Amino acid sequence: MTPIQKFEKPLGMRDSFPLINEKKENVRDVGRKFFRSRGFDFIKTPTVEYYETIGKASAIPDSSLFKLVDRQGETLVLRPDMTTPIVRVATSKLLKEQIPLRLAYFANVFRAQEHEGGRPAEFEQMGVELIGDTSVYADAEMIITAAEFVQELGIDDYRLTVGHAGLLQSILLQLTQSEEQVTELHKLLVEKNMVGFEETLKTFNLSEEQERSFIEFIGQASNVDSIQQLSPFIDKTNPKQVTMFSYLQNLSSLLQNAGLSNMVTYDLTLTSEMSYYTGMLFEVFASGSGFAIGNGGRYDGLLQEFNSNVGATGFGLRVDRLLEVMTSTSPLEPHTLIFFDETNYMKAVIEAGKLRYQGIRTTIQCLDSVEDKHAYQTNFTDVQWLIEGDGRR
Amino acid sequence: MSELTIAMPKGRIFEEAYALLQKAGFQLPDDLEESRKLIVEVPHERIRFILAKPMDVPVYVEHGVADIGIAGKDVLLEQKRSVHELLDLKISQCYIATAGLPNTLMNDIAPRVATKYPKIASDFYKEKGEQVEIIGLNGSIELAPMIGLADRIVDIVSTGRTLTENGLVEYERIVDVTSRLIANPVSYRLKSERIRDMVKRLKDSME
Repeated sequence: MTPIQKFEKPLGMRDSFPLINEKKENVRDVGRKFFRSRGFDFIKTPTVEYYETIGKASAIPDSSLFKLVDRQGETLVLRPDMTTPIVRVATSKLLKEQIPLRLAYFANVFRAQEHEGGRPAEFEQMGVELIGDTSVYADAEMIITAAEFVQELGIDDYRLTVGHAGLLQSILLQLTQSEEQVTELHKLLVEKNMVGFEETLKTFNLSEEQERSFIEFIGQASNVDSIQQLSPFIDKTNPKQVTMFSYLQNLSSLLQNAGLSNMVTYDLTLTSEMSYYTGMLFEVFASGSGFAIGNGGRYDGLLQEFNSNVGATGFGLRVDRLLEVMTSTSPLEPHTLIFFDETNYMKAVIEAGKLRYQGIRTTIQCLDSVEDKHAYQTNFTDVQWLIEGDGRR
Repeated sequence: MSELTIAMPKGRIFEEAYALLQKAGFQLPDDLEESRKLIVEVPHERIRFILAKPMDVPVYVEHGVADIGIAGKDVLLEQKRSVHELLDLKISQCYIATAGLPNTLMNDIAPRVATKYPKIASDFYKEKGEQVEIIGLNGSIELAPMIGLADRIVDIVSTGRTLTENGLVEYERIVDVTSRLIANPVSYRLKSERIRDMVKRLKDSME
């Protein structure tokens, strides 16, 4: 291997240059106002956590974790997501003070890279968690909040895909003969490997009738605009399925009330590698990025791992991908440059003070230290010269 | 109707896949691959083709610069990219197998396997419970056992002629390979109508 060069960063790590950094800060500012106005409180958790607790409970695969060892020999991880640490704080402390809890975060998370680029190993996530409310209103609040936040950022061409992990599980169980088969199919659905799905079905020795209804289910329940279209796939004699379906119907009418009908499609085959999702789950897509910009859902299962059964729901958006799809370029911020020379230093300070007081971003710069005056000026919207004689060349 | 960008593999698979699209009713010009262009527009169908190396098709689709693509199952297994596999086009049928010199056993201490498919090969031997050393090659894999570089190779077999001509025999069949229609997860949602229409038409024309 060639030795590491001075300019290199570890695989997948990125610098945020001022321009990008400003955009990120802008998302953070908009988000802070937006989520706070809806009653969410922001929280921070440590960058480093125990592998034994957070590392194992998080749904991020082991191979993607950055691991290190502390002085006592305990394995630590750089937090791979924010949901798990927030659940840790909530179940161990905050829930004793307030329930339900509305928490929000803007934080960087870490996922190790295997080989190639195009995927950052550290990125910012912004999201919210609503812990201690199992009602359909909580789930609707998550989807609506995500959608309206995306709109708030000026992203108009976006879609939400909504599914239900519990209902899918129940339907799969009914159509197959064993839990193992369900697990196998589940894995294929996470990848949306339709070819593999059909091939696997053939190995199950189902009746022709069963196989056909299965393929119909996968083909037709994966993309519908109205929840009613899913009704034929629900077994009306199975009370659990009926309950979950009417839950989805309620959710759908709440989303309709929020004016989101055109943005939402339903996909009963939607599932996630995050095994802790138990109920509603959703994904957010926007044109301009080849990857989903965010996802969320109900994760009562994760709370159970922390010995709590109060239930929780939430979502997270990837800030790097939001930046990819945000088209609106903010107008150039006024930024005044004052060139001064030795005799005019105090004048420059006073002048700059006045401008800053008016809220104008102002830089004062000794002219003699600048080699290429012409190039330097191009970074500013306005230039003032406090120079004796003809220093102004 | 939104524009659809399709990543097509250059070479052998191209012709078959292209004919399949024509058969499904897409009005496409007959002489597309003859030009040396890498991007070809078909305005009246609102389709844009990207001509790529077969191994690269899933890369374009995963990153969303192509909405859909046509890729061999061998490539999909080797690269494990997050793309949706929508349809088995049943073209370019072949399979991946292990092969070697006749009547030979694997070396006990350090069995070596030469292949273009390091991941598929190592997954296969892991599953079998054997630890092997993988040697990555880019072509003419058959050479490896002949000149003593490896005990076995893992490679694509279509007729088996190349193996026979080089005095090799097939040992184990690993997996069947055909070309698949793959889609980017975001395009699958945002351009669902077009993609589903294409899947349906391809499916119907194949029956």
